Amino acid sequence: MDSWQVYSAGAKFALYIATLGAVGICFNALLFKQLVSTAVYRRCIILFAISGMFATLASFLLRGASLLGNWSGALDPEILGILWETPVGSVIIYRLVGFTLILAGMLNPSRGLWLAVFGGILVLCSFTQIGHVADRSSFLIQFVLLQHLAVASFWIGVLIPLSDLARDPKTSEQAGKLGHRFGQVAAWLIPSLLLAGVYLTWQLVGGFSGFASPYGLMLLAKLLFVVLLLGLGAANKFRFVPALMSRDPVSARHLSNIIVIEGATVLAVLAATALLTSAFSPLG
Amino acid sequence: MTRLIMSLLFFALGTVVFGHSKVNLTVPENEAILSAAPEIVELRFANKIRMIKIEMTHLEHPTVQLDLGDQKSFATEFEVPMIQMGGGEYVIQWRGLGIDGHVMNGEFMFVVE
Repeated sequence: MDSWQVYSAGAKFALYIATLGAVGICFNALLFKQLVSTAVYRRCIILFAISGMFATLASFLLRGASLLGNWSGALDPEILGILWETPVGSVIIYRLVGFTLILAGMLNPSRGLWLAVFGGILVLCSFTQIGHVADRSSFLIQFVLLQHLAVASFWIGVLIPLSDLARDPKTSEQAGKLGHRFGQVAAWLIPSLLLAGVYLTWQLVGGFSGFASPYGLMLLAKLLFVVLLLGLGAANKFRFVPALMSRDPVSARHLSNIIVIEGATVLAVLAATALLTSAFSPLG
Repeated sequence: MTRLIMSLLFFALGTVVFGHSKVNLTVPENEAILSAAPEIVELRFANKIRMIKIEMTHLEHPTVQLDLGDQKSFATEFEVPMIQMGGGEYVIQWRGLGIDGHVMNGEFMFVVE
């Protein structure tokens, strides 16, 4: 692992948080209109989208530096021009256009939500165009990755509104409702997220022996955090959300505490993913 | 709306993509021991790459860049003239871009007796 790969992983980590945060809140606002209001989360979505644009640019400039093996590559027009000719260029266009559509949608949060969701899907699509999955040149694997990202963002996007609602005693009942309705959808979607993860893993590492490589071991680390996340999600679904629905006053605090741990675990999963996609290769 | 999104998705995902490229062969080969310094260094890849630079380090001498000349497009084979520095260990380092946008780099060494 050279230092360029570490910087590149850092930029990707920021890009993942910004993308999944912005897209995820939009998805939740679309599905749970009464509970997650775009008017309330407009600033949050805008902040994520602008961070996403900066992370996209940073990632591009870092690739230039990495290509030349020198910081000057980040601002070298010839080097950046060469990169632009490859899928790197089209991916940047997808991302910048996607984030711009999210921002445009947020100019009028109630009517523009569909536009923002469309922009978000465009940004998610960009991830299927470059990297280890894109290298497989298979429509199915790209589609599975898109589904994996969409469900992951939906899950991540519920955390902020849910924790906001749970923290305020006036809205803790709504937190129970949001948790319950999310849990109903998640019961279908999360298994598909995991199945997609298993399928992608299988395609990339090709069986159990693949786990012995550095890529495989990093993937196992990611998996460990995912299992922890599932445990926390299950605790919310089966224990704290039902308690909140039956108006148990302490459960709101428990729920918001669990969400903080869930948030930290999500960051660990995304950090592991950023390393997997920049510093390691499934080819060994 | 759903149909529109689906057709756009198909459009977006339809782009052709390419695989990683690994260095297949170098002349001289890695860890070769030669009786005389070669006149050229050659690198061959499985898939096309755009070579950005090839550098050579000989013993304690400062690293020098080898002249890629007009080899400025995606290709699978590259040849650069060597700079003769006599006997000892030579390390060749290269950086390039895979046609799929991956930054690639590598090195190999040989010894001239």
